[in-house]
Amino acid sequence: MSDLLQRGQVLRTKHSGQTCTVEQFLGGGGQGEVFRAMWGTMPVALKWYFSHTATPEQHAALEKLVTDHKPPTNNFLWPLDLADSDHLPGYGYVMRLREPRFRSLLDLVSGRIDPTFQTLVTAGLQLADSFYRLHADGLCYRDISFGNVFFDPQNGEILVCDNDNVTENRSSHCGILGTPDFMAPEIVRGEALPSRQTDLYSLAVLLFYIFHISHPLLGRRILSIRCWDLPARMKLFGNEPLFIFDPQDQSNSAVAESVDPTGEAGANAVNYWPIFPQILRDTFTKAFTSGLRDPDNRVMEGEWRGVLSRLRDAIFFCEHCGKENFYDLEMLKSSDSVGPCPFCQKTPRLPYRLRLGKTVVMLTHQAKLFPHHLDDHQPFDFTRPVAEVVQHPTNPNIWGLKNLTSDKWVITTADGSTKDVEPTKSVPLVSGTKVSFGRVEGEIRH
Amino acid sequence: MANRFGGALAARPLQFIWIADCSGSMAGKKIESLNFGIREAIQPMREVATENPNAQVLVRAIKFSDGAQWHVSQPTEIHDFKWADLTADGVTDMGKALQLAADALKTNNMPERGLPPVLVLLSDGQPTDDFNAGLKAMMDQPWGAKAVRVAIAIGDDADLDVLQQFIGHPERKPIQVTNANDLVKMIKWASTVPLKAASNPNSQPMGQSIAAGVVPIPAPPLSTLPIDPSDVF
Ligand SMILES: Nc1ncnc2c1ncn2[C@@H]1O[C@H](COP(=O)(O)OP(=O)(O)O)[C@@H](O)[C@H]1O
Ligand SMILES: [Zn+2]
Repeated sequence: MSDLLQRGQVLRTKHSGQTCTVEQFLGGGGQGEVFRAMWGTMPVALKWYFSHTATPEQHAALEKLVTDHKPPTNNFLWPLDLADSDHLPGYGYVMRLREPRFRSLLDLVSGRIDPTFQTLVTAGLQLADSFYRLHADGLCYRDISFGNVFFDPQNGEILVCDNDNVTENRSSHCGILGTPDFMAPEIVRGEALPSRQTDLYSLAVLLFYIFHISHPLLGRRILSIRCWDLPARMKLFGNEPLFIFDPQDQSNSAVAESVDPTGEAGANAVNYWPIFPQILRDTFTKAFTSGLRDPDNRVMEGEWRGVLSRLRDAIFFCEHCGKENFYDLEMLKSSDSVGPCPFCQKTPRLPYRLRLGKTVVMLTHQAKLFPHHLDDHQPFDFTRPVAEVVQHPTNPNIWGLKNLTSDKWVITTADGSTKDVEPTKSVPLVSGTKVSFGRVEGEIRH
Repeated sequence: MANRFGGALAARPLQFIWIADCSGSMAGKKIESLNFGIREAIQPMREVATENPNAQVLVRAIKFSDGAQWHVSQPTEIHDFKWADLTADGVTDMGKALQLAADALKTNNMPERGLPPVLVLLSDGQPTDDFNAGLKAMMDQPWGAKAVRVAIAIGDDADLDVLQQFIGHPERKPIQVTNANDLVKMIKWASTVPLKAASNPNSQPMGQSIAAGVVPIPAPPLSTLPIDPSDVF
């Protein structure tokens, strides 16, 4: 147990007026300790600060988050109320408990869990979307890093923790600079404070880590560094940052495991980088070339959302080994063939696909469409499918796209005839059929 | 079936060395608290290692009294590490202990690339040998100079000046403990917080430039427990 609070201790919460009873020590961190507690009748997590971190500034920041700002989405473990006691110095705050199904991104990078690409892309998309909302609310997170983001390895749902450092953009009263490996170069160099623009940099680092299990700036140059300490980080992350896939300058390029068995110079990235579609490579290249030097030229959250939702649509399964491959429209245009599967080297056949505006959705046996596919203004909600690929009830060789909405669709077949597809009915997957979903029209191809 | 490529994040070795005073004055309660404290610290150290996939934590221990010896000579993965209890008897040859550490930190004896080593020195008295020679030998080694050095002063007779010189950073003080409870707690602190800082510096508070060149370590938490006045060292 801890020294800060004891089991059974009763605290007062400021705005709700409810009591908060300490039940169990959950863990300690750099700023304080976290307990399971009962807030009225609701089980919650209570974070209590160490005396040296329980500053008046922190208190004011929490007060603002509790009273002036709602959680931007359900993906944030937001401070819900402040807690204190007449019998104790200091204060804390209550938030929702993190359910055990959520795992840390640390579990991902250390290989303790093995999620699918679809899960990871979904998590990345939700991350970009969550920070889009946070930033749209005028807030800045300041400390995006491994330790603060959790996700469900089954479905990619994310949870952003440690929201007590969130402040309004441009306010400088909060005491956190960030985590060195995720800090924008201008912060590392001591030229800037955390802001929305530096959050964008940290977000790009986190996304790169999720997809490549490597840091975007750790390539060849780290091999000449004996002691990986802060001055070394200052050099590679602050004064001489260089992307490991910089198209102009190869002096820090990623080094394959066959050349450096430690793998610390981007060996994982060497494996992953080529298997993603060009659009993802282009976006990371922008984030870590112009975006490295110019805070106003970073990849915005909205752009990440677009790219990642297209990436999610591009996943199909190799018929030989069953693993996920990525469809690459650009590549297909230039070489007129799908490349070999990166896992078994055999060439897979493409499934039926649905061209929908800018995106192409692979109609795999488990494909689903979601609200954002049929209407740009709908949120990314992967719990509410609006269409799914199904097999014909009597002829398993025929596949269809089932209408899960309450509106009818209209299809135009290749020969020009039209037909209604009522809710619960399915469009057969036949090349050349156009489907009018209301706001958008798609075309089935093979 | 693996869903993706297998590789985890690469890890660099991090050498961690306890340097423990086993002089006669440590006999009895102090050495037993120290043994207990280190045993208690192992699990939290494993947790730090698990949370820092970029560090491979390798642990050793040096004991000093009449001379100095390796108590655990092989760098041992923290997940496999076991503690054998120390006993106390003799004088305080701290300088010789630092000589031993200096040998271990020689470039030839260290991996080619690593994280900053962490050295935790625990003592309750005045060195009886040439402390300065030992300190110089250690600081002459590049890995010694790069090491994160922490010291715990046990009881009122510990030589704070000497421990301060070992630490080598004026803004970082020896941790003074005067009761068993605090000793156990501070061993845990000294074994985990600097380890975390050296493997992967975490959220940096403002006003602390990462250019300072020092691995930033958060302040040790002050005791909030009532001190038992009968728990005398
Ligand atoms: N909402 C929560 N629900 C459950 N456990 C939590 C919650 N918030 C934090 N924890 C746990 O409490 C511990 C410390 O929290 P952390 O956020 O790391 O603190 P700090 O920000 O001070 O480093 C960690 O072990 C973490 O998993
Ligand atoms: Zn295959």
